[in-house]
Amino acid sequence: MNQFRKTLLSLSTAVCIMGLTAAAQADTLKIGLAGPATGPVAQYGDMQKIGVMAAIEDINNAGGVNGMMLEGVIYDDACDPKQAVAVANKIVNDGITQVVGHLCSSSTEPATDIYEEEGVLMITAASTSPSITEKGYKMVFRTIGLDSLQGSMAAQYILNNAKPARVAIIHDKQQYGEGLATAVRDQLAENDVKAVMFEGVTPGDKDFSALIAKLKKENVDFVYYGGYHPELGLILRQSAEKGFNAQFMGPEGVVNSDLAKIAGDASEGVLATAPKSFDQNPVNEARVAAIKAKGEDPTGPFVFTAYAAVEVMTNAMTATKSTDSEALAEYIRTHDFDTAIGKVKYDEKGDLTESTFLVYRLHKDGSKSPAE
Amino acid sequence: MSEFSLYLLQQLINGLTIGSTYALIAIGYTMVYGIIGMINFAHGEIYMIGSYVTFIVIAGLLGMGIVSLPIILVIALVVAMFIASTYGWTVERVAYRPLRGSNRLIPLISAIGMSIFLQNFVVLAQGSRDVALPPQIIGGWNFGDPSTFEVSLSYMQVLIFAVTFISMTLLTLFISRSRMGRACRACSEDLGMTNLLGIDTNKIIALTFIVGAALAAIAGLLLGLYYGVVNPFVGFIAGLKAFTAAVLGGIGSIPGAVLGGLILGVTEAMTSAFFPSEYKDVVSFGLLVMILLFRPSGLLGKPEVEKV
Repeated sequence: MNQFRKTLLSLSTAVCIMGLTAAAQADTLKIGLAGPATGPVAQYGDMQKIGVMAAIEDINNAGGVNGMMLEGVIYDDACDPKQAVAVANKIVNDGITQVVGHLCSSSTEPATDIYEEEGVLMITAASTSPSITEKGYKMVFRTIGLDSLQGSMAAQYILNNAKPARVAIIHDKQQYGEGLATAVRDQLAENDVKAVMFEGVTPGDKDFSALIAKLKKENVDFVYYGGYHPELGLILRQSAEKGFNAQFMGPEGVVNSDLAKIAGDASEGVLATAPKSFDQNPVNEARVAAIKAKGEDPTGPFVFTAYAAVEVMTNAMTATKSTDSEALAEYIRTHDFDTAIGKVKYDEKGDLTESTFLVYRLHKDGSKSPAE
Repeated sequence: MSEFSLYLLQQLINGLTIGSTYALIAIGYTMVYGIIGMINFAHGEIYMIGSYVTFIVIAGLLGMGIVSLPIILVIALVVAMFIASTYGWTVERVAYRPLRGSNRLIPLISAIGMSIFLQNFVVLAQGSRDVALPPQIIGGWNFGDPSTFEVSLSYMQVLIFAVTFISMTLLTLFISRSRMGRACRACSEDLGMTNLLGIDTNKIIALTFIVGAALAAIAGLLLGLYYGVVNPFVGFIAGLKAFTAAVLGGIGSIPGAVLGGLILGVTEAMTSAFFPSEYKDVVSFGLLVMILLFRPSGLLGKPEVEKV
């Protein structure tokens, strides 16, 4: 018991000291960084973190914003909608008024309600679901294109370049995956290409043998998968084992090196729509080198969209000379920004006016190249 | 054979493969229930740990330059069974034994706590991302007409059937023939009476957890190799399915667990085969509800007799 008291005492002392140090650094401006730091898709959270931290470092090295140094504070929502709401409340309680995040659309959407109500500026670098900006919120922006654009880009590619005989569309029954799958199906249908299958799989499932046998029986030669890489990786791997050799295509949620790790050789040649490889852009050469120097990977699809999100925020702060999030939101909506992802301009809803996607072909070493 | 029957055969093979592995995990649930009348909710996590150990051992052996597949598999199996059994024994020691004799709900909650603890422990120790292993056992047989539908049966699937069948047989022999097995059956009939007759029931219960965990490790190895991917969350879903299989077949009955696993696996595969695959879980759990409505003790379970 005595031991327990001592631990408690030292713990509370530690908390007090932490509180003091926080109070001492009054001239830092905290930027919340909300996304999955744990959970099955934590890798995307890492991409966002790499981008945001690189941007903060560059800005601080250049003297900060309005005399203040930036500090990134990481909040883990594990891509779980319930946890995202808890995280959003915690951000509000911590007095943070600028957030980069969240990452998964299903987490971003419930969180936006809280940010809008509490006047927290939120820029998501990765959530592509159209419904996020459809509520007419004033505080919500993104630095990435929409699913509807991504879906139609995939559909255009299927119609004009791939021209398959029999298309199947598979999705993971989640907001992001099913939304994209539906967009692709509808656009194909408008052009008189009817998908022979439209089915959901359960996220977390490991066995897709029954589904693959069905695809094989239907003589499908092209599969569009709306979802993330853990399931697609297994589908690819099991397809190869069962001798089912169709062309697969996915959204940017499948674009990361784990796909190649899971599927091995079977991941060679998979198509995917992804944000342009901003790390290939000569403008970002110095930034890429700086990230590489820290031993981190600058090639993830959300690294530079996250970088740009911080740039949009800080540019607005410099221009308005304030950190009042409502003033910032108003400024962001009405001005252009030069960022790591090129020129950024917003429409009334807070969406980018230009698409940032391109069709890529993925390779088994985890790299990608623009598709022909 | 026509295209349709070939397709049916393929889905049957797929279903039996999944079903066999459900069965292996389900036995752990059913054994513990049969003897102490409680559900070990940490069992799925033991399976997950078995998978991780397999991956680590295989990666380590490959790194050391050992390439002979049988040697790798045997070492991985032995290490995985040993470590998983240690976890199984610890779970019993920590979460069950101190609570023996208390209300049945209390060990249930402590087992759920154990399951959450183990899951998060692995997240912290190994990271939450998928860990992948390149295919080790490659190839298989193809038959049927390639122009209509070709049925594939991989060596891995055959290995899963064979190992499941052998483990089942050995376990049945152990329970029905050995002294320890007889003590297990005595415990499951009347724990208090067995104790009075001079059998160390604590030892027998610990043994049950160890054997269950060893079987879960076998399933962990097989499924780890089959899917080539493991993450800290696989135990939850696999545990849930295996628990369903155990209840379906009649919890407490070992042949019931096997039958339940196979039925569940085949139902899932057949549902995916002829309906959109999102209905898979609806149909299999609907089936569970139906069976429990008409046979509350499961397919092969003995009706519960109130002990006086």
